[in-house]
This record gives sequence, C-alpha cells and structure tokens, in this order.
Amino acid sequence: MDIAFRIPKPAAVEVRDLQVQLGGTPVLRGVNLRIEAGRMVALIGPNGSGKTTLLRCLLGLQEPHSGSVRLLQEGPPNPSLLRRIGYVPQRLQLDPSFMLTVREFLAIRRPVTATWFWRPSRQIDEQLHSAVAEMDVTRLLDRPVAGLSGGQLQRVLICSSLLNEPELLLLDEPTAGVDTPGEADFYELIAEVHQRRGLTVVLVSHDLSMVYRHASRVYALNGVICCEGAPEEVMNAESLKQAYGIHFTPYHHHHHHPHSHGGHGH
Amino acid sequence: MDIEPFMLRALLTALFLGPLCGFIGVFVTARRMSFFSDTVAHAALAGVALGFWLGLPDPTLPMILFSLLIAGLILWLKERTALLNDTIMALLLSGSVALGMVILSLLRGHRGELDRYLFGDILSVGWGDAVLAFIVLVSVGSILFWKLNALALLTAHADLAHVSGIPVRWLNYGFVALLTVTVALSIRLLGIILVTSLVVIPPAAARNLARSLRQQILMSLFLGLIGAVGGVAISYPLNLPSGPCITLTLAGLFVLSLFGGRLQRPMRNLS
Repeated sequence: MDIAFRIPKPAAVEVRDLQVQLGGTPVLRGVNLRIEAGRMVALIGPNGSGKTTLLRCLLGLQEPHSGSVRLLQEGPPNPSLLRRIGYVPQRLQLDPSFMLTVREFLAIRRPVTATWFWRPSRQIDEQLHSAVAEMDVTRLLDRPVAGLSGGQLQRVLICSSLLNEPELLLLDEPTAGVDTPGEADFYELIAEVHQRRGLTVVLVSHDLSMVYRHASRVYALNGVICCEGAPEEVMNAESLKQAYGIHFTPYHHHHHHPHSHGGHGH
Repeated sequence: MDIEPFMLRALLTALFLGPLCGFIGVFVTARRMSFFSDTVAHAALAGVALGFWLGLPDPTLPMILFSLLIAGLILWLKERTALLNDTIMALLLSGSVALGMVILSLLRGHRGELDRYLFGDILSVGWGDAVLAFIVLVSVGSILFWKLNALALLTAHADLAHVSGIPVRWLNYGFVALLTVTVALSIRLLGIILVTSLVVIPPAAARNLARSLRQQILMSLFLGLIGAVGGVAISYPLNLPSGPCITLTLAGLFVLSLFGGRLQRPMRNLS
C-alpha cells in the first residue's frame, strides 16, 4: 500500500473499466489501472492474460468495447498524444533483404533528420548524438538493423524512441530476445534512463525475475488487474500465485531460462 | 547509327520503368510482396482480354484498371475474411488468367497476340506508352521519395509506424496502388509472366552489394535501368522477345552481385 495521506501524483496512464473481446472471447474484463507519472512500473501477466491487448489499447491500436484510456492526463491515444510516447516493440518484422542501417532507422523517425537520404552521415550523426551516446549504440550506427542481436536491437529501439523526448516509455517484453547476462545490464540501463530523464516507464512482461528489482510498483494482469502494489507484496500475493499457477516461484530463478516460468498459467 | 522509331520508344520506356521498378522493388521484397506483384501482373491478362472484347485499340488502360481492381480485391478479402494471403492471391491469380483466356478464346483473331502479352514485345510499345511511362516515373518516383521515411518505418514495424503518427492503412493502400500501376505498365516490356523479375531482382542484387538502405535504393535503381535498357537493346538484334532478354540480363547482374558481395565481405556468412 502507498502511504495513506500522500498527495497522489498525476497519472501518466489511467485506464477505467476497460473491456475488450477478441473473436467473441473476453480478453480484458474490466481493467482499472492508474500509473503515476515519473514511476518505473511493471505490468506482468502470464501468456494469454491480455498484456498485449492492454498495450495495444494504450497505443490506440485496439478499440476497446467499453471503458476508457487516458494518457498523460489528456485523453485517449491520438496522433499528437502518441508523439509524446515512446513505444519499444519486442522485435522488428524486418526482413534481412532490407538494408536499413541503425543510423537510417534512427534518422527516419526525426523531422530534423528526415532528409537523411540526401545528406552525409556525419551531419546525421551530429543530430543523433545525445541519444546515441546515452544508449551506447555509436558502434552500431553502420550496422544493418536486421543483423543485430536481441540486446543490441533493444538498445537501438529505445534510443529511437528517446529521440522524440517522450514523457512515457512503454516497453513490450523488453528482454524477450536478450540473453540472461545481458538482461541485468539491460534493466540497469533502463533504470538509468528513467532516473536521468524522469520519465514514466512501463515494462510489460511475463518475466518476473528482473522486473521486481527495478520496478517501484507491479501490476499483475489476468483479464483484470488481479493485484498491484510494491514488488515484494505482489510477488507474495495469493492471487498472483493463482494467476500464474502453483509452480510460480519468483525469487529463485534468476539464472533459469526466462520463458520457463509463468508461460502456462491461465 | 540510325535508330528505328519503335526501338527508340522501347528504349525510352525501359529507361523510365527500369529504375522505377528497381526503386519500388526495394520495398516490395522487404515487405514480402513479390507474390502480390505477380498476382496483379497476371490480373492484367483479363484486362487485356476485356480491352479487346470492348473493341479498344489499346489495352493499356483496361490492363491497369483490372490490375487495380484485383489489388483492391486482395486487400478487401484480406481484411474481411480469414483466408490466408497466399490463398487469396493464388485464387485471384488463377481466376484472372482463366477469365482472360476464356475471353481471348471466344474472341476470334486475338489468340495470336497472347505471346506478346505473356513475354513482352517491344513492337507493341507505342508513343502513348512511353509518355505514360515517363509520367508514372516522375509521379510515382516523387511520391516514393516523399514518403520514404514512412515507408521504411512501415516496412520495419507497422505498429511502430502507427504510433509514430503514420496513417498505416492509407500508406499501404497507396503503396499497393503505385506498385500495381508500375507493374501493369511494365508488362508491355516484360510480359505478364516475367514482369515481377524487374521488381524483385534489382533490389535482391543490390542487397548483395549495399551497406545501407540508401546504397540499396541507388544500386537497385541503377541495376533496374541497366537490366531493362540492356535487355531491350539485345532483344532486337537477336530477334528475341524483350521480356526474357531483360530477365536474363537481370539474372546475370544478380550472379555478378553475388561475386561482388563476396569480394566485399569475404568473412561474411552467406545466410
């Protein structure tokens, strides 16, 4: 629980009674969610719990059947609001036949570098410099995006979303393609970005091991938000054990395969 | 050296359409739309047949319109039904070819013209086609450059493009329309069966040599130009249909690009 008389900060994300059905099956059954601005939180849930659907609703990619989404205290996702949000997808659908380099990928998302095709790389690099240095991707600039490793791609994707100075960063399964040793560094990096920039970070994941170390608040989803609170509280909550199934043991599997837990719950 | 007027028309048309197909092809291959391109090309056969049936002197317009109709139908079926992409396209490809063949068989005196539409014929390229090719080069080429960033982002990740404020659906419709018009127009040179080679081979060869998207686009433009103009140029003295000549020229360039790519990156794993 939060301290009882604390004045609540403004909400970066506010979801009220959100209901979504996909193909006649209810996926979200009245989700209520309030994420305070400036926090780094985790939205967790087993596969099939509606995480992806909820994320798609936040990004305006899925129309809810009822209920509302309010972002950055303004309203439902719309183009001008989405410009203030950084979305980091799990991976790209890039075909290796497409020779887009990291530099080009970063340049196409910014108005100042929109004319990259006609300009020398050096000029582009100057305009990308701060975010590129922050995410340590300078050495990757000339590499084709389709050839990056999972961890490198995640850094590039975050770098690309930081270029627009977002107020809210949404990361979808950020460590899905990252090896276990890389995972810890990765969360350190996100935590640093969060502190330095003071933005709201939402990690959407079914992988609990690292999330609970870095998130200040955890929301467990399974059709509805079945529990929320500080990581230690949520991880021990009875409702979460039910949601994830009885095999769920959050504290002792840091070096196991990240997909071996929580994937089979209902 | 004197140049025959029909040869000049064909060379100019190749000069305009080769680079354009190479350019648009970079996105066609990356978005896995080669089969789509093939389907709208085959749809043009029904357009040709309908054109003859209606007694039109030149089938270019019905070809483009029927290809656009089939392209729209592919998108519509994709959005409205649970059918797989491949199934939809195979259905419409074979359906259009069958329709075209039936109409051509019922009309007397047009079966002989089938070859020139299947494999390309430089003699059938009129001044109207050359002018249209130039207009399409300028308009489609400028739109592609204008929407380059949006298209590249759409190719990388559709949801990311949406979140970045790109009207993904309309961009996709627009791209499909531009591709369809470009392909339908190039049928005069390459023929229905081979036209996709001018869209697919230049970017594939360019990919072997390029180290960035910019290089891939520029090389693909250039290879498309060499393949189309070179193929037309050798088809006349050898008295061969232009389509196979262009495709074989492109295939030769592709093989060369494999060696070029290996020389450039000897350590690279060719997977």
